[in-house]
Amino acid sequence: MLNKKIKNRSLAFTLFFLLSIITIFFSLKVLDDNVLYFLSPTEINDKENINFNKPIRIGGMVKKNSIILNNNEIKFVVTDLKNEIIVSYRGTVPNLFAEGKGVVAEGLLQDKKFFIAKRILAKHDENYMPPKD
Amino acid sequence: MLNFLSPGNLFVFFNKINKLITKILLPLAIVSLVFSLFLSPPDYIQGDSVRIMYVHVPSSWIALACFSLIGFLTIFNFLFKFKNSILIYKSLAPIGMSFCLISIVTGAIWGQPTWGTFWAWDARLTSMLILLVFYILFIFSYKFIQNQNLSSKICATLAALGIVNIFIVKYSVDFWSTLHQTSSVKILGDTSIDKSMLVPLTLMLLVFLVYCALIFLMKYRAEIIRMKKKGLKRL
Amino acid sequence: MNLSIFTMGGYGLYVWSAFAFTFLVCFFLFLKSRKSLKKLESDFKDEVKKLSAEQVDTLKKGKISKEILTSQSKAK
Repeated sequence: MLNKKIKNRSLAFTLFFLLSIITIFFSLKVLDDNVLYFLSPTEINDKENINFNKPIRIGGMVKKNSIILNNNEIKFVVTDLKNEIIVSYRGTVPNLFAEGKGVVAEGLLQDKKFFIAKRILAKHDENYMPPKD
Repeated sequence: MLNFLSPGNLFVFFNKINKLITKILLPLAIVSLVFSLFLSPPDYIQGDSVRIMYVHVPSSWIALACFSLIGFLTIFNFLFKFKNSILIYKSLAPIGMSFCLISIVTGAIWGQPTWGTFWAWDARLTSMLILLVFYILFIFSYKFIQNQNLSSKICATLAALGIVNIFIVKYSVDFWSTLHQTSSVKILGDTSIDKSMLVPLTLMLLVFLVYCALIFLMKYRAEIIRMKKKGLKRL
Repeated sequence: MNLSIFTMGGYGLYVWSAFAFTFLVCFFLFLKSRKSLKKLESDFKDEVKKLSAEQVDTLKKGKISKEILTSQSKAK
């Protein structure tokens, strides 16, 4: 029952669909760095020619026992279990900011191991459960 | 099969289930609201803010599922010129758009106390916003383009691009680093939500689905009457 | 009175506004769909009134038209 018109339309559609997939795939590839919301300490470590004047975001886990509170300043270590970056920040942190939990920091990289944050965001995982008491 | 899907048969069938739907919607909504707001436990880190999940997650699912269905119907109509699918996708689009909006707004409200920000331009949130834009463009292109042939072509184009976007929304949290967490409920594999929280989530999904059916039936009825009104002039 | 179920441990404002927004959008969509449906139904009825008896008979042979007309009269 497939007549010629339907065949032509199917062909045109499939072609268009494949083309759009390829176009979107490549534009995402080009945008790669911008699609990533944050870079992990390892990605920072491996990256060459970092622009230290451009604000970036780094993310990872807050290392256990690394939070140091000092007046207004909070210092902690962001880790991805391979590399670490020390983050310094002045201001209030979100409620969910805690040791062993995910964090995203926005600010300027001083060198590959030291980061001054303008803003701290908490990243939480996909696990939901009632509190254990 | 196709005979059953004719507008006439579907119309009569839909009117029969309409009564059942209006009867169960309200009691079901009250039960699941009590479950999601009061009876379910708070989360071990997020506390009571986890309750926003019970409206955010089901509405996101519906927004995604609705566009997939619309996309399929639009392409089906474009290929086989099956007129009834136009009536169905016109009735579905406003529902999907509303739930997409609900998903984005409740997500922003949830983001403030948990992440510390209303909005972040990460891959998941941005692709969800693009989905909303697709919904709006789609609705505009069948509402304001009078030429039926042209409008169905534009709708098919939007549907094809929109379906690619659906996959980007779905897998964005796995492909790229995002602020948004990865999916908790997986079709294959373990679900990382405690059972006591799955109850209100499922109930809420059920309420939303029944509500969608109610709106869909009204919209579909309106589309059918609009079509028949045109037919009256030819009598 | 126990206020803790409304404050939700400090998250009350967020939780309640999320639920309220969802309800408002759903309610608005419901009202809008119902209004346009009612208008279409009454318009359809008015146009049928203008037709001759013969035309109405042919119209009632169709499954859909019959259903629209009967369910409309039941609702009133």
